Amino acid sequence: MREKEEKEKGGIVATIIMLVLGILFVMPILLLVMNSFKPYSDMIANFLAPPIHFTLDNYKTAVERMDFMQVFLNSAYVTGGTVLLGVLVSFLAAYGIAHITTKDGQLWYLLFTLGQIIPFHTIMIALQVMTTKFNMNNSLTVLICLYSGFHCAFGIFTYVGFLKSVPKELEEAACIDGCSAFRTMMQIIFPLVKPTSITIGVLFFLWTWNDFLMPSLMINETGKRTLTVMIYMFRSNASSDWNLLIAALTLSIIPIIVLYILAQKYITSGITAGAVKM
Amino acid sequence: MSIIYKKYRKFYYLLLLPALLLYACSLLIPLFGGTIPYSFLKWNLMSGKKSMAGISNYIKLLSDEGFRTAFFFNLKLGVFTIVGSNLAGFILAYFLNKNIRAKGVIRSLFFIPNIISSVLVAFIWTFIFSQILPNIAELMHWDWLGSISWFGSPGTATFTIILVSVWQQIGFLMMIYTAGLQTIPMDLIEAGKIDGCTGLRLIRDIQLPLLMPTITINLFVSISGAFKAFDVPNAMTAGGPYGTTMPVAMDIYKEAFVKYNMGYGSAKSVILFLTVAVVTLIQLNVTRKREVEY
Repeated sequence: MREKEEKEKGGIVATIIMLVLGILFVMPILLLVMNSFKPYSDMIANFLAPPIHFTLDNYKTAVERMDFMQVFLNSAYVTGGTVLLGVLVSFLAAYGIAHITTKDGQLWYLLFTLGQIIPFHTIMIALQVMTTKFNMNNSLTVLICLYSGFHCAFGIFTYVGFLKSVPKELEEAACIDGCSAFRTMMQIIFPLVKPTSITIGVLFFLWTWNDFLMPSLMINETGKRTLTVMIYMFRSNASSDWNLLIAALTLSIIPIIVLYILAQKYITSGITAGAVKM
Repeated sequence: MSIIYKKYRKFYYLLLLPALLLYACSLLIPLFGGTIPYSFLKWNLMSGKKSMAGISNYIKLLSDEGFRTAFFFNLKLGVFTIVGSNLAGFILAYFLNKNIRAKGVIRSLFFIPNIISSVLVAFIWTFIFSQILPNIAELMHWDWLGSISWFGSPGTATFTIILVSVWQQIGFLMMIYTAGLQTIPMDLIEAGKIDGCTGLRLIRDIQLPLLMPTITINLFVSISGAFKAFDVPNAMTAGGPYGTTMPVAMDIYKEAFVKYNMGYGSAKSVILFLTVAVVTLIQLNVTRKREVEY
């Protein structure tokens, strides 16, 4: 009994130590959020003081000056489109690969999964030249297609791993009952792999929402900029307006934190599952 | 089953088409139809001159001081970031796997920086280094702190970039180490303890060897990530001072989109691609061999 008590006590001390470490670890983010609610003069006087003169002015000005709503919608469109298209094409291809039993199946699998080792930076010049040549830059829809093309390497890799564990009897039974191949795929197998789909979707969301380099290369029109690009531009043009910049930074982080809280289980399981299967 | 496969063969191949089309347009064609052929061209976008150059771009690369600096900076950044974030990630995973409450919340705290865009992360830290730290130094009269120019000298600028990169990657590596630690059967650990193996020896002789698959993955992820370093240095130091904190990807960017040398920039891209491919293949082979089975 005493031993148990001691063990629990140890647990509490260790918990407090780790919790304090964790809070110190995210301190930069906490300081950022806290200071975004202070008037500029308060902020530069003491960054560590709590927001006594609480204000939302920084947010108002930042939202106006950055055309935040438009930028936010652009990011949302590109990200949403990529998640839908990317997950769909990944699933279709992975389903096909899992059912091509000849050597071809393995070859296709290899072709797609090897795409994961190609860094974007090695093809950015070519992409920029080609999209300009075909007048395809400044289009958010082209951006969706490009992202889906990049991300499907990972999507197919993950789906194939999961589809292998689906019992074949299910499909055989469906076939005997006269269910067409397409319906079997969409109505029997697709609902079955839902956890994988959510995981892949969440990762696609993060990769697309957070990306900077591709939209900064492809998009020149002011009205079509995405969030990361806009923040970057704002920082280069108005580098001393830190109160506005931190308000904008806080606004950009919020969707990601909300997504994390909603889909925490899928993010962690996705990241570990995706990595462990390699 | 095989009958079904044969019956629907065409259908299965058809399913590959949309992904193949997107994949080819965004990766295969730009790489094999763009980067590689361009690298044999002498092509400047400003002057508009475009001519065959053979392998002269690659020969030029051998004696390119700037590219060499970028390459070595990238190596330095990679080594420090990989070692730092893997060590810290493992230590955190190790302690958070013990008898502790609210594990989920604490893990989340360490994980959150990993899901924020690198550009934003770089700006958050620029805010800390350029605004908050000088302010603290002033309020506390800590002259030593106030006198540090965080982005001004190659040493401090490199340090800040490494620190921020490690900060961002710890959470991810911690999660994977946690998953790895949880796959080690408890009875193996118990058996080790009974045989008198405790503390650091338990980690070194039992847990680490069993974690080899996890270490393989984490090294794979962090090494390939190191060669993709761009956002953090670009947003924090812009490669300065004097190009001392410029990783390879940024050097390629400057060559192509500031100096408009598309051919030469492509040759650099090919070298980056080959480096990443070779390093990851070697690394996968080496660590896979050291994995143990139980």
